[in-house]
Amino acid sequence: MTSVPRALPAPQVYAVSRPKPTRRWMVRMFFVYAILTAGAFLTVVPFVFTLSSSFKTAAEIRQVPPTFFPQNLTLDNYTTVLTDPDLPLATFYRNSAVVALANVFTNLFTSSLFGYIFAKFNFPGKRPLFIFLLAQLMIPFQVTMIPGYLILVKLGLLNNLLGLIIPSAINPFGIFLMRQFMKSVPDEILDAARVDGASEWRIYLQIVLPQIGPALATLGVLTFMFNWNAYLWPLIVLTEQNIRTLPIILTWYTNAHTNQIHLSMAAAVLVMMPVLAVFILMQRWIVQGIALSGLKN
Amino acid sequence: MAILADAFGGRDSSQKFFLFTSVSPMVIYMAIFSLLPVIWAFLLAFFDYSAQRTGAGPLGLGGNNPFVGLGNFENMIGGQSLEADLFRTSLNNTIAFAALVLPLNLLLTIPLAVLIEATNKRVKPIFRLIFFLPVVTSSVGVAIMWGFIYHPQNGLLNGFILSLDSILPSLGIPAPSRQIWLGNTRLVNGGVPLALICAVIAYLWQDFGYNTIIFIAALQGIPETFKEAARVDGASPLQVFRYVTLPLLRPTILLTSVLTVISAFQVFDLIQVLTPGGGQQAQTRVLTIDIYENAFRYQRMGWAAAVSAALFILVLLITLVQFRLLRSDWEY
Repeated sequence: MTSVPRALPAPQVYAVSRPKPTRRWMVRMFFVYAILTAGAFLTVVPFVFTLSSSFKTAAEIRQVPPTFFPQNLTLDNYTTVLTDPDLPLATFYRNSAVVALANVFTNLFTSSLFGYIFAKFNFPGKRPLFIFLLAQLMIPFQVTMIPGYLILVKLGLLNNLLGLIIPSAINPFGIFLMRQFMKSVPDEILDAARVDGASEWRIYLQIVLPQIGPALATLGVLTFMFNWNAYLWPLIVLTEQNIRTLPIILTWYTNAHTNQIHLSMAAAVLVMMPVLAVFILMQRWIVQGIALSGLKN
Repeated sequence: MAILADAFGGRDSSQKFFLFTSVSPMVIYMAIFSLLPVIWAFLLAFFDYSAQRTGAGPLGLGGNNPFVGLGNFENMIGGQSLEADLFRTSLNNTIAFAALVLPLNLLLTIPLAVLIEATNKRVKPIFRLIFFLPVVTSSVGVAIMWGFIYHPQNGLLNGFILSLDSILPSLGIPAPSRQIWLGNTRLVNGGVPLALICAVIAYLWQDFGYNTIIFIAALQGIPETFKEAARVDGASPLQVFRYVTLPLLRPTILLTSVLTVISAFQVFDLIQVLTPGGGQQAQTRVLTIDIYENAFRYQRMGWAAAVSAALFILVLLITLVQFRLLRSDWEY
């Protein structure tokens, strides 16, 4: 048996792992693609139906059975929605953008800072603080929502966009995500900067932050989308109409115009578009971030 | 970490300054916005509290907002009041919702991830992109889209069934009948309301891309050599999936199951917009809607805090199950 080679010759393994396009393999792949295409079709149908309905006339949308694609394309729904004096969409876009961007800014700052501190420093009380952060991830939002509202009442932040920014300034999930990335920043670089006399704040701002650009991009996009789409907390905090964010306005509009589906479809498209655009442009960061956070949770 | 501090002969003043100026604001902030809400929520559950009445003390507990001890919880378990009935309905609906979502989600996402992994490297990102689109869509948008699909007169679903009416009978297959999908209280399938099933389907549509991405990442972590070995031994693709891939996915399946159940317990936006307040006869009322309605519509915040404690216990139980199951983690 000594003459038998210990390892299989490499080409043979290669041949097994990448089957030649035999007939059987091709039939199999045909089914794989057929199933996936059917799935993709079903996934896209609600979007396409919403989009096409937003171009239909009020009469066509009430047809039974409904048409899938508009018979006479019209842009009237969009002009009506965009020029509705009761619905200053520009204001609501601004509100949503202010909240989402401010949260991106605060979350990136606090998550990277505390992720760095938890990854690279020791201080008294570090362990209990970390465990408390961890425990927060297990508490459903609905539990702290009621006292959170009462605190905002005491601080006078009801009907104020700050009420959607200040309470979410520290995000345990973001800190954990950043801590994972910070561990990969080599200690040698930090030490070298210390030897050169850089202050710790300067090390964090000028050396650590540039190292974790991709992680910041991932967290930034996730934070933006989460806040842009948020519904429950804005619903509680913002009760006056002109201060509201887009998702609340969308439901309000739909409820106020129950017989005008064509208008609410146009409004829905206008509200959903920015996030879908951000996603399609930045999908690499998002998918990476989700996979990472899901696996390391 | 500690190595750094030692190398410099203890923490130098710059490090002390840095830690002091960053950690102490964090601790103060968390005391107000993280710790206080948890304690307050816990206390609220033992009071008959409404924000409209002025109570006693810094938190407004006591006085006109009397202490009721375990009263709220006793009411939840055995009370005959309307809110107790609604709570129990909500609890049942929440559990039914999660119990339907979990298996359907896994049956959908695991095979889907395997199929996507089998495709060409160039097409893979396209499928991934499409399947992930609903995840990033605002759940209010999803609810409005699906509300229109389920619309009794002008909806796509009833329109589709209507078009089947002319095809299926000629083939000898009975055509399904059109429904008032979200508003018909009489239709019940195996004890589960039709409207709740409709909500489950819309939720699955929105949510399946998330687990699919996680399973794709997990599949990429399985060494190709394992599957190769099975193939060399003559295993069919189905056998490779059943005897190699699936067992190695076990830790990921456990983890995603727990996360899926926990997020299904906390569904709010979709159901609240599809069927405001939980729909006809509270058929789609879940715990989160019960909490929201009690706290912010009827100003019964003490009762709502007690209901939220029940939701917390539900989530905690699932988390404990996760820890138990994941203890038998394996390496490969």
